Amino acid sequence: MSLTRQLNYQFMKEFGAPALMALKNLKKHKPRPVSPTFGPPLKANKRLKEILSRHYFLARYVPGVKKVAWVTSGAPVELLRAFDIYTIYPENHSALVGAKKQGADFCSIAENDGFSQDLCSYARIDLGHMLSGKTPAGKLPKPDLLFCSNNICQTVLYWYKAIAHELNIPLIHFDAPFVAVEQSEADVRYMAQQLQDMIPVLEQITGRIFNLKNFEVILKRSQESSQTWGAILDSMQAKPAPMTIFDAFGHLAPVVSLRGLPVAQDYYHILQDEVEERVKLGIGAITDERYRLIWDNIAVWYQVRFLATFFAERKMNFVTATYTNAWAETTGFLDVKDPWTSMAKTYGQIILNNNLKHRLELMKKMIRNFSVDGMVMHSTRSCKPYSVGQFDLRKALSADLGLPAVIIDADIADERVWSEQQIQTRLEAFCETLEDTPHV
Amino acid sequence: MMIPNRKEYLQQQAQAGQKIMGVLPALYPKELLWAFDIISAEIWDPPGEILKANAHLQATICPVVKRGLEFILKDSTLVNSGYLFPHTCDSLQNLGSQVRDLIGTPQPVYTFYNPKGTFNNATQNYYLELLRDFQSILEAAHGPLDPEKLIAACELGFAIDEQLLKIQSSRLSDQLDLTNLEYFQILRAGEYLSPEDYFDILSQVKIADHPAHSKNKRLLLSGILPPDAETLSLLDELGVTIVAEDLLSGSRRLPIAQLDAPADPYEYLADRHFILPPCSTRASSLDERFHHLNKLISTSNAQGVLFNIVKFCEPELFDHRYLVKTIKKSGTPILSIETELLPGMSGQDRTRIEAFTEMLDEGVLV
Repeated sequence: MSLTRQLNYQFMKEFGAPALMALKNLKKHKPRPVSPTFGPPLKANKRLKEILSRHYFLARYVPGVKKVAWVTSGAPVELLRAFDIYTIYPENHSALVGAKKQGADFCSIAENDGFSQDLCSYARIDLGHMLSGKTPAGKLPKPDLLFCSNNICQTVLYWYKAIAHELNIPLIHFDAPFVAVEQSEADVRYMAQQLQDMIPVLEQITGRIFNLKNFEVILKRSQESSQTWGAILDSMQAKPAPMTIFDAFGHLAPVVSLRGLPVAQDYYHILQDEVEERVKLGIGAITDERYRLIWDNIAVWYQVRFLATFFAERKMNFVTATYTNAWAETTGFLDVKDPWTSMAKTYGQIILNNNLKHRLELMKKMIRNFSVDGMVMHSTRSCKPYSVGQFDLRKALSADLGLPAVIIDADIADERVWSEQQIQTRLEAFCETLEDTPHV
Repeated sequence: MMIPNRKEYLQQQAQAGQKIMGVLPALYPKELLWAFDIISAEIWDPPGEILKANAHLQATICPVVKRGLEFILKDSTLVNSGYLFPHTCDSLQNLGSQVRDLIGTPQPVYTFYNPKGTFNNATQNYYLELLRDFQSILEAAHGPLDPEKLIAACELGFAIDEQLLKIQSSRLSDQLDLTNLEYFQILRAGEYLSPEDYFDILSQVKIADHPAHSKNKRLLLSGILPPDAETLSLLDELGVTIVAEDLLSGSRRLPIAQLDAPADPYEYLADRHFILPPCSTRASSLDERFHHLNKLISTSNAQGVLFNIVKFCEPELFDHRYLVKTIKKSGTPILSIETELLPGMSGQDRTRIEAFTEMLDEGVLV
């Protein structure tokens, strides 16, 4: 590690990043017109932007100072934190690219290089970034290693395998057996063993010695962040809900990509205080919340604003989502006294690695707890584990709960797939049905 | 040699009281099923129109998955002992749960996890536990396992593997007088015949004492499944022989190295699983895949490679780009065709195949 780089990184961390944030705050942004049907925006938005900008900004100065890992959203990142590895989340980055409506450009780079258009758009965007160096985040550091788990999909494994080969770097894979019925002791033992086997590999890559005490602190912090995130989501049970699920899609970023770091823990306390205050004062995310909805699947990142406005104008608010809940659902299994087994249980049973019976029961619980009147399912061509089964989930929920529901075909980050007229027609028909359905 | 028709054979077996399990792709311990007197009817690409499955699956789901579901929904009387969903990809993973937990079927639904990524002792131990768990599940439905039967099943499986390896090797050395269509009919008969009947068929394959020195052009085939009958026949007409294959339904399920005859059945099944050739669905590294294909090209003297890609198959599509790039670099011509597993061949594919085979001699990249 060069001393100059170390000093440069420290300088940027202590002075550069705060100065940049101050400059950004000074810069007057022309406010975008917001529909009057929305309540006041969350104050925490500003802090969220600062945290994420700072993370991407510092990433430019980290090569040569810390090892950099590209990590999947469901991987047990706490282990990397114990080795002070700087983490970048390509899924997060792809969502950012998608939100800026640049997904098609990045995908085209990967497609022109031979990757099929039928592959996941998060993967194509990331591969497009890897091949071109393009990013709306300024510059991303090249990884020293890759860390992935197939607990969210097998796709990430194929995708990371391609990057590992292209960049000639190690890929650490955490194999999480799918929970077809229930997690067996053999599954847990296998995963716990894998986690422990990673320690010498990470020690060799980083030149650091594993410290169990430090690891326990990180685990505790990670658990607390996830639990606070869960409490924030639960606050949306209030009527009116203090935020929309479209807010939550954004505020999800720290629990995904900064989990286990103090900054995420601190941030969620700020957000929790704010939503609790809004609940106390009866401040809703939309001004006249008449209908409450559940969202299923990953966001349509390039149409978040359209969808938020479309529903808010019809006095409909998304108060819960299977997607945002994923980083809170299994955190109760985490136990610092039994780190390996408890991590295996936590990471092995997340929604996308669990059977559809589990998902159905979970959705029913959410629908009840959040007093949901209707459901919008995003069938995305990019995510098979999220989308295969949705047609029958919808049928089951309609049959058991009489819940009006609609499925829209789109994609998470490739805007070329969006068919505005068709989707708008479907959504309007859904809203009419919902308005005609008597609800308590 | 008469290879029984798949449907007729299974109907006869079912009528005779034979236990039949429908098995989705791809890797599973079939010897364990045989030990319970169950034969596996593998469901890869059942023919017919997709009607019912479209109400359950999106348009962007691969046709293997869709056809598998269509077969299950049509409720054939062929399958009487349940369906098995080995863990192969995201779509099949969810389909197993969808059928068991949401759609429902009169037959029990079983699953079998196949570990992914890099394999070591922990993986091997875990696989042994998976085998024991699967045995317990089968015992709950079919009574206690007779250990002697499992040993016999492994021995039969071992003999089938040996026979298949011999046939593969004879194909490479031009000692099989079989058209492409006949060759794949024989290989694919293992998807539905009882092990005894399959071994009998394989034993009847005539292997010439000396190479035929055919003037046919030589092709390597890679993908999930072989092309349809029309495409295979077209290749025959064009004087092209598929001399080697790297198919998930074929040689990727055949050990890459010599195994000892089974002594401990579980050790044997685990060893066999972990020496299978590299495969996209097991997330083998790209280097391993390339080296394996490259070796197949050189040992078979293949003049070109045909990638038969099933539409929307993510595991194959991720590897495809690198394999095509690197094989092309070595000067070997490549043709990639995409299939939705519909019967017949499009005019465009016919033209591309004809053009490709014409260029094989010239070593032109397509």
